Amino acid sequence: MKKLDKERVLLAVAAPVLALAAAFVLTALVLLATGKEPFNAFGIMFDYGVKADSQVYILNKATTYYLAGLSVAIGFRMNLFNIGVDGQYRLAAFFAAVVGGALKLPGLVQIPLIILVAMLVGAMWASIAGLLKVYRGVSEVISTIMLNSLSGILISYLLVDGRLADLDKQTNIVATDPLPSSSHFFTFPAGGGLDPIWGFIVVAALAGVGFWFLLGRTRFGFDLRAVGRSESAAQASGVNVKRMVLTSMLLSGAMAGLIGMPTLLNDTHQFTSDFPTGIGFTGIAIALLGRNNPVGIALAAVLWGFLERGANRLEFEGYDKEIVGVMQGVIVLCVVIAYELVRRYGLKRQQQRVGAELAAQARADKGIDKTETEVPA
Amino acid sequence: MAYPGRSGPRPAPPPSAPQECAIEAASPPKGAPAGAVTDVAVELHGITKRFPGVVANHDIDITVRRGTVHALVGENGAGKSTLMKILYGMQRPDEGTIAIDGETVELHSPADAISRGVGMVHQHFMLADNLTVLENVVLGAEKLHGISGRARARIKEISDAYGLGVRPDVLVEELGVADRQRVEILKVLYRGARTLILDEPTAVLVPQEVDALFDNLRELKSEGLTVLFISHKLGEVLSVADDITVIRRGTTVASVAPSETDPRQLAELMVGSELPSPETRESTVTDTDMLVVDALRLTATDVDGVERAVLDDIAFTIRKGEVLGIAGVEGNGQAELVEAIMGMRDPDAGTITLDGADISHAPTRKRREDGIGYIPEDRHRHGLLLEAPLWENRILGHVTEVPNSKGGLLNPAAARRDTERIVAEYDVRTPGIEVTAASLSGGNQQKLIVGREMSHHPKLLIAAHPTRGVDVGAQAQIWDQIRTARREGLAVLLISADLDELIGLSDTLRVMFRGRLVADADPATITPEELGSAMTGAASGRLDHPADDGTEAATGGEAR
Amino acid sequence: MRRVSTIAVAGIATAALAFSVTACGSSSEEGSKDAGIGLAYDVGGRGDHSFNDSAAKGYDKALKDFDVKGKELTAKDGDTDADRYDKLASLAEAGYNPVVGVGYAWTPSLTKAAKKYKDTDFAIVDSVVEAKNVASLVSAEHEGSYLAGVAAGLKTKSNKVGFIGGTDSALIKKFAGGFQQGLKDTNPKASLDVQWVQVGSAKGFGMPDRGKDIAEGMLSNKVDVIFSAAGGSGAGAIEATAGKKGTWSIGVDGDQYYDKGLAQYKNTILTSMVKTVDGSVYDFIKSVIKDKKPESGVQSYDLKRGGVSLSYSGGFINDIKPKIEAAKKKIVDGQIKVNDTYKD
Repeated sequence: MKKLDKERVLLAVAAPVLALAAAFVLTALVLLATGKEPFNAFGIMFDYGVKADSQVYILNKATTYYLAGLSVAIGFRMNLFNIGVDGQYRLAAFFAAVVGGALKLPGLVQIPLIILVAMLVGAMWASIAGLLKVYRGVSEVISTIMLNSLSGILISYLLVDGRLADLDKQTNIVATDPLPSSSHFFTFPAGGGLDPIWGFIVVAALAGVGFWFLLGRTRFGFDLRAVGRSESAAQASGVNVKRMVLTSMLLSGAMAGLIGMPTLLNDTHQFTSDFPTGIGFTGIAIALLGRNNPVGIALAAVLWGFLERGANRLEFEGYDKEIVGVMQGVIVLCVVIAYELVRRYGLKRQQQRVGAELAAQARADKGIDKTETEVPA
Repeated sequence: MAYPGRSGPRPAPPPSAPQECAIEAASPPKGAPAGAVTDVAVELHGITKRFPGVVANHDIDITVRRGTVHALVGENGAGKSTLMKILYGMQRPDEGTIAIDGETVELHSPADAISRGVGMVHQHFMLADNLTVLENVVLGAEKLHGISGRARARIKEISDAYGLGVRPDVLVEELGVADRQRVEILKVLYRGARTLILDEPTAVLVPQEVDALFDNLRELKSEGLTVLFISHKLGEVLSVADDITVIRRGTTVASVAPSETDPRQLAELMVGSELPSPETRESTVTDTDMLVVDALRLTATDVDGVERAVLDDIAFTIRKGEVLGIAGVEGNGQAELVEAIMGMRDPDAGTITLDGADISHAPTRKRREDGIGYIPEDRHRHGLLLEAPLWENRILGHVTEVPNSKGGLLNPAAARRDTERIVAEYDVRTPGIEVTAASLSGGNQQKLIVGREMSHHPKLLIAAHPTRGVDVGAQAQIWDQIRTARREGLAVLLISADLDELIGLSDTLRVMFRGRLVADADPATITPEELGSAMTGAASGRLDHPADDGTEAATGGEAR
Repeated sequence: MRRVSTIAVAGIATAALAFSVTACGSSSEEGSKDAGIGLAYDVGGRGDHSFNDSAAKGYDKALKDFDVKGKELTAKDGDTDADRYDKLASLAEAGYNPVVGVGYAWTPSLTKAAKKYKDTDFAIVDSVVEAKNVASLVSAEHEGSYLAGVAAGLKTKSNKVGFIGGTDSALIKKFAGGFQQGLKDTNPKASLDVQWVQVGSAKGFGMPDRGKDIAEGMLSNKVDVIFSAAGGSGAGAIEATAGKKGTWSIGVDGDQYYDKGLAQYKNTILTSMVKTVDGSVYDFIKSVIKDKKPESGVQSYDLKRGGVSLSYSGGFINDIKPKIEAAKKKIVDGQIKVNDTYKD
């Protein structure tokens, strides 16, 4: 049994390592094909990525990505494909910024309030897709894609001078009222002229722990995972699958609401028309890469931040910046393939082991049987 | 209950000395002279197939005489299917030789096998529903006789020659199971097979259809064809086979003639130990109602958008200590009945009362907590999380109960400990509780499910095909578990296609046909044949056995 | 500091990083200040047929005229201020001077970069950053668009005029507002149909097929003059008007009559509202490299300074030139105050 466990750990590590190795080889080939020297490119990325200011950048970016990965992973764990994380977090961040900009409460009250608003808005927006799926059988993939579009339109309708935002005529930037400085989230100074590390990383870590605890240690989590593994078996076991779909959509949306918070509370302090987009989709890649596991997602988020940091430098060094996009895409593909291969191998391996152990038992039994049956007629 | 008037082909009592009849022990005619083989259709010699670590085949020797029905029997997982796949060219043996018509051959693919005159009828039919019989038969064999006139003539010819009664221009979707099977047989014959492999052909048939199939097989035999027949239903094997080879744990353990053995002895050869019997010894039925179903009605909308009743006016009572068996051809509403009682479907009318409490519309989880245990018909879909470890499967369905959780929190340590206990008590053969459910054999998966359900001391157990696809050893254990619990006051709703199991375990029998309970019977007197005919809708009401009028048991009459 | 390194390196280890960690702590290598010109495009970058290209034109000219080197970086979709800052900082650290941010989206990052790299001369296009070492190159798009509105008001026969904006951003509404006012002042009977290619997203600047669809919709409603301020999407509108006799399009940013990609449609391009981003970028670079007297503060490229203008290429509006020039004079003199935003 011990041995089997060790093997499982090995297999768990094998998949991402295999995927990354394959991704690097493929990216190197792409670089070669474009006539560039690949190892120099990797060297530049690594050199640049480990600099102190890069580390701050990576950690801050990873904070956002981690929350995005968790949000997507909640859906993935029960076979729900919440593509709408993108719209959910943007809408959530927008309303949180509006509420935060309108109030002037002490930070201790206002910061939790802003976060709560964001989670509620995210959850409500996600619940539309959940309700449609439960009561109308609409695939959440379709509905969340549409809701992404709708949230963009809703934001641009409201993010207009005189509605919920103000236009700075000089800079052409339309933004919500800035949060009062009391509502700025704390930061960790990183020293020596570097940007500070966002304090929201603590919230992200707590969210990760909460994710692990909820899914791994509670009845609810067990039910959720059961639905993900087999909807029919979960239903027969007494899980109300419809309610579970709705609940996990709400949870995923609430988590999505957190995605915009590090940026809002630690960085921009207001919602502008160029508030980062597309993080929900990055979250899908990160959840895949991290295998829906809170630790895996954290590593994936850091890796992603690292790659993006490297991308900025590669462009500067005269490489096509798209190469990192290619690399990220290749990594996701490799990861999906590698995990599937390793999963199948592991399953087969386990069946073989079980078979082998039982066969050994059987052989032992058979020795006895034979002596019994081989009595001459 | 003592089964005073038991008749019919029930397993005879075990012979006093099982080993004394003419059984050729493990190694039958090894070096059968290769020259004198004109009457040998297929000879397998020393076949060994290894899958890493898995029991497959080793040292298999079988000689199949031309113009005979040769039965291959063995438990599930004994290696029958692998062997037949080797003979049909789907897998290559690691060692050993295959000789067809005296000539040693190497089969690389089913096409090779067919060109040598070996054809296979699979357990799961491979027919295109939206094509006609003719189209299905010529599909892939267009070169033989074209696709129209000549082909139709040839089909008629084959059909008439072997009494298959196949109509070439009917759509396959309009055919019943037995007809489809005949089309499959015809397909193989059309391609020129002289040796037919039939993989568990009777698993899907009711007794009457089995008889018809056997008539067909005798027809084939009389025309000089050879049939290799895989089964684990021993009564059938004895009635149709000329020779029987028993496989156990991947190797041939005996070759016997049907005239020289009986089901019990065969089964013992298969299992390697004494055979279990499903019969319950005494009645434990009490007066306390446990499950009362009244006027239950459930409708469903079919693919054409027509709403029809899948359950109609269903009423029965199961008392503590009683096993109520429901007989019926699959698809007549049994699955829906189970789902309605489990709360997976909401009935349109009627009531379900468990131990005095109305649960007609209670959620599934509530029902489980209130004491319904469930052994589902399809354990992969409804009973297990295949990719989850055993201990998580032990939690499934009982996540709110001790020892699995406390408050809202799981208790993995306790669940693991209890899984270890189940594995030990219910003899689940596994190297440990961290392996996935998928890596266990069907029988061990089922034992885990039974152990799990029994561990919560249910008031009512719904057992749908509890021993389907389970080997004989596990079957006996499961029967024992049900019997033991029944003695302690468990009420059981048993649904099974195995009529022996149904008759042997039940205190009361009901027959389900097209969503209604159309007949009831006393398991002490009914025969599988009578039950079978009622299942086809041919009989209704009280199925009395004339000879047993005087001994009419209390059970049947009280069921309603 | 130490802690940062360990955490990040632990993560990076997943990428099989075997490189030394000695680089920790050093965040930059200071270069000389004469590496050349640093140019940071907004999303879309060089080749967008719009104002990024316009800036590129000024940059190319400066490279040639002053015989210096340069480096171009491009923001991508989803870049945060931190990403944008990283690009500007990279340029400044490597010694590029001046550094130009093309587009108002660079405002926060450029503000920060200007603070950190006080010796570097920055410029920002279409926005204002208040710092000593920053020149804010803003254009009076609404003033130029007013003149386009005058031309449209005089040329329309159906009294129906269309405006297609790439997105409903504040900047594009400047175009729409000026155009609307010029049209109404000239031809009160004319109605204006305003549509956005993509609401709330800069993607609307790169969807020519969508631009064409919108334009065709307008044309079928009897609109006969369409002004597009929609970057690449405008090409679709120009194509659409070329397909219907008697209808005109009005180009934007550059003089689209001379746009090689649009050569086959040039006879239906009534005029273009030329916004000389190339000129303002060139002027700024010149002030730094040649004149050694870097521009700073708000550099307003308005009608008066020639930062925006209406082109007469093709001669289609020569007949109404007097009226246009009269309107221009009124704006320059301050008699007309042009709206800088659009209201329904």
